[in-house]
Amino acid sequence: MTTTTIDPAPRRSRDSARRRDLLVRVGFILPAVLYMLAFFGFPIVKNIVMSFQAYDFATFFNGSAPFIGLENYAATVTDPIFLRALRNTGLFTVGSIIGQFVLGMGLALYFRKRFPLSGFLRSLLLLPWLLPMIVSAAVWRWILEQDNGVLNRFLEGIGLIAEPIPWLVSSDTALIAVIGVNIWLGIPFNVVLLYSGLQSIPEELYEAGALDGATGWKAFRHITLPLLRPVVSVVLLLGVIYTLKVLDLIIGLTGGGPANATQTLATRSYEMSFVEFDFGQGAALSNILIVIALAFAIVYLRANARAATKG
Amino acid sequence: MTPMSTSRPTLHTVIGIVLVAIMLFPVYWMVNASLAPAGNALSAQWFPTDPDFSGYSRALADQGQNLITSLVVAVGACLLSVVIAAPCAYALAQLRIRGTGVLVFFVLISQMIPGIVIANALYTVYSPLGLINSIPGLILADASQGIPFAILIMRAYLETFPSSIVEAARVDGCGHVRAFWSIVLPVSKNSLVTAAIFSFLFAWSDFLMALTLTTGETIRPVTLGLYTYIGTNDTDWSAVMSTAVLSSLPAVILMIIAQKYIAAGATGGAVK
Amino acid sequence: MTSSSTSPPSPRVSRRALGAAALAAPALMQLSGCGERSSRSGARDIRIVDYYNTPADDVAINGTFETCAAELGLTFSRERVPGDQLVAKVLQMGSSRTMPDLLMLDNPNVQQVAASGALAPLEQYGISTDGLTPAVADLGTYEGTLYGIAPTVNTIALFYDVAALDAAGVEPPRTWDELRAAAAELTTADRYGIAFSAIASYEGTFQFMPFLWSNGGDETDLRGEGVLGASQLWSDLVHEGLASRSVVNWGQGDAIDQFKAGNAAMVVNGPWNIAGLRADTPDLEWGVVTLPVPVAGDESIAPLGGEVWTVPVTGDEEKQAHAAALLKAFVAPEHQLFMGGERSTIPGHAETAARFAAENPDLGTFVEQVATARARTAQLGPDWPTTAKAIYTANQRVLVDGVDPADAFDEAARTVD
Repeated sequence: MTTTTIDPAPRRSRDSARRRDLLVRVGFILPAVLYMLAFFGFPIVKNIVMSFQAYDFATFFNGSAPFIGLENYAATVTDPIFLRALRNTGLFTVGSIIGQFVLGMGLALYFRKRFPLSGFLRSLLLLPWLLPMIVSAAVWRWILEQDNGVLNRFLEGIGLIAEPIPWLVSSDTALIAVIGVNIWLGIPFNVVLLYSGLQSIPEELYEAGALDGATGWKAFRHITLPLLRPVVSVVLLLGVIYTLKVLDLIIGLTGGGPANATQTLATRSYEMSFVEFDFGQGAALSNILIVIALAFAIVYLRANARAATKG
Repeated sequence: MTPMSTSRPTLHTVIGIVLVAIMLFPVYWMVNASLAPAGNALSAQWFPTDPDFSGYSRALADQGQNLITSLVVAVGACLLSVVIAAPCAYALAQLRIRGTGVLVFFVLISQMIPGIVIANALYTVYSPLGLINSIPGLILADASQGIPFAILIMRAYLETFPSSIVEAARVDGCGHVRAFWSIVLPVSKNSLVTAAIFSFLFAWSDFLMALTLTTGETIRPVTLGLYTYIGTNDTDWSAVMSTAVLSSLPAVILMIIAQKYIAAGATGGAVK
Repeated sequence: MTSSSTSPPSPRVSRRALGAAALAAPALMQLSGCGERSSRSGARDIRIVDYYNTPADDVAINGTFETCAAELGLTFSRERVPGDQLVAKVLQMGSSRTMPDLLMLDNPNVQQVAASGALAPLEQYGISTDGLTPAVADLGTYEGTLYGIAPTVNTIALFYDVAALDAAGVEPPRTWDELRAAAAELTTADRYGIAFSAIASYEGTFQFMPFLWSNGGDETDLRGEGVLGASQLWSDLVHEGLASRSVVNWGQGDAIDQFKAGNAAMVVNGPWNIAGLRADTPDLEWGVVTLPVPVAGDESIAPLGGEVWTVPVTGDEEKQAHAAALLKAFVAPEHQLFMGGERSTIPGHAETAARFAAENPDLGTFVEQVATARARTAQLGPDWPTTAKAIYTANQRVLVDGVDPADAFDEAARTVD
């Protein structure tokens, strides 16, 4: 026989139950929080501190890094290549994201159809990510070689161009070439994530929609896109962040050249640190890059929060 | 009958093959270069009519141990990433805890830090701790790219998770952990596998951590082992390309296996 | 009815928390400036860091170290770093106080590292520059003190395709005019007359220096006529189609690959290619001449390449002495001959170099070129990298954007001032 009497004890046990519940929920995120703090806390702080110091080659050995306030930031922004790098970064990011996303979405939608070998072919699409960057860069440099590269030979062979295109050696085409290679590299990322997202949409919804006459493009607009929104926005956001950070690819293809035609903020930051050995300025520029990426992140978080309350 | 099966499967397979072939042309070119006579990767013909396998024999002889190291580190980092990120992503997406917006923000910022900054900072910490040249050390370091990514991706997928199922279970008296383990995880297999794939890929193709946190004498992932053929003044391209081809094989097989798990409509029947 | 969940997460969490705190603590220590150095190996075990990471290099370097270490009763371990990552590694090791006992540096970096106080002067260990040509001695000297020694050095000269030159009826060029004429004769529909590296990196500057110096130019005055004339030569070669436009994206390795593939009849490159030429393209008959000079009779002055071995200051006096002893044995003339032969580089010791030329006729031209070569850091010391960057940036502007050399180098000079 159970008795239900109301006395102070249940409130205490209610509080302790709530506290236990909170502890359990916090336990879900605690390992991640600790890992993040341990592996990223120090580097983030160090990068910020370094951007306010005169940190050069000798500092690594004698530890002397005098505080110079905002001088690094001022020098970075007034650097003659800064504006060019900023413009290149913008073009590079916009071009890459549009190309990767559109082609990636197209491929993901195509591979939803069930046909023999579709799974196998989809897995093969990940191959570009399995190649070491130095190998990809070398292969693309051979393909894009002006005089003997396969691409020019092919284009001339089918009569599309009369003169070989100086892909990587002319300031007019170098950035386009680099964007093209980056799109190639970004497609697998987009395809896999978007495909996975598409697969999570229950097929019953499409069946129901088909009954109402919503097929093809209409189905895409009214069923696919809304349900895919969180995945699309995270893919776009991460795409932007990773593209802003792209370094090895550009260094491997052109080294930032020719004549600074493919310098981006990321490559400039690397160059300032490891070629000019002005680590303070390099840190300052990478912090500026982080702030730019943060702007996108904030837009994402706001849009996310709004959509979450709506849905 | 589902609306997704197609009426002309063979045609679609052919188109699929053509699309993938175009995408993978550079990979074909890499294989082509690996078979070109030594030192002539530059003048490779369209088709390797006279294949030279000496690059492969060099690669096989030198890189076996490195491949195993790479596999162990990548699988370890992948598992660690998923184990740490999945509960966190679930909590951020579904469990309401105050102040977690800050965590998401922090995770996003961590993705923006240049890799070399992290590697340098880790070196100063690993050195006195004796974690240099250790597999666990590398696994921990390589997970640094996978964990934030996995958190963000899985959180995105879990946001559209039908919380009604979990609520029903909770009403029945199921605890958070039980609900997570028995209900959420099986249903969100797609996002788990996707996150795992990318965590594996990030760790597999990592060069910076391997370079910074090992001295090359005991353990060497294959991304570093590649540099045995890249001297300061001359490069043995056919060996480099051969190593790249050989090292992609186990990874491709893993990818093919993993992709089978991204099944359609995983969340479909769960609500019922 | 409540069902208690499986084991509560808390114990797992606190163990993980401890582990993570253990990770974070040294990071906090680092922030406050106290580093830790763990050196448990004995004083007779020498830690070496270098970038000789290919098996071919290993035969020469490891072999020599083994011989010397055995003689001295020492043991050693080598860390091989990929070439372009060495400086970054050195900086990491410097800041975490884990510098090795013997450190190899590419010669343009020696001055910077010495200037930061990380290296021990070598005279105290009985290592001197006796017998070295002044230029080779310069490589490891900073402000008059010897910090590093190079057992072998190299430089660049002009390779040419014998069959191609014979077919065109052209002699290997000795002056700039002859060079222009020869390149013009040799350029056909599927081959360029000459290839070189004008890439936007220190390699590009390295290839430019012989033209700059032989023309009377000086690296301390980038606006000088000598510099501009050299840049004009490069500009003419590229804009007249005698050298591919792709030179702005080619490293020295790419340039020699073009030569091997028959896409260029002449190439400016170094002796390290000889083993590759013999192995990969045995049918290609090649010859070498010293780099052409502006006017007949001028001296052909090329830059010195090669690596310098140094003894970092680790605070362990006994170990440093052992390391220096190992180094002294390592650079002995007979080892210079061995390493030079294996790696196709030139011994730094003048007399040994002469012997070497006699024993290796293929490398005779390079020995000749080394004899008149200069160290890039001789005048500018630690400031050389800034000038080097200014030079390759200016050349890129000239070759890619068609800027006039005078304007390009004026811009460059301003970045250095």
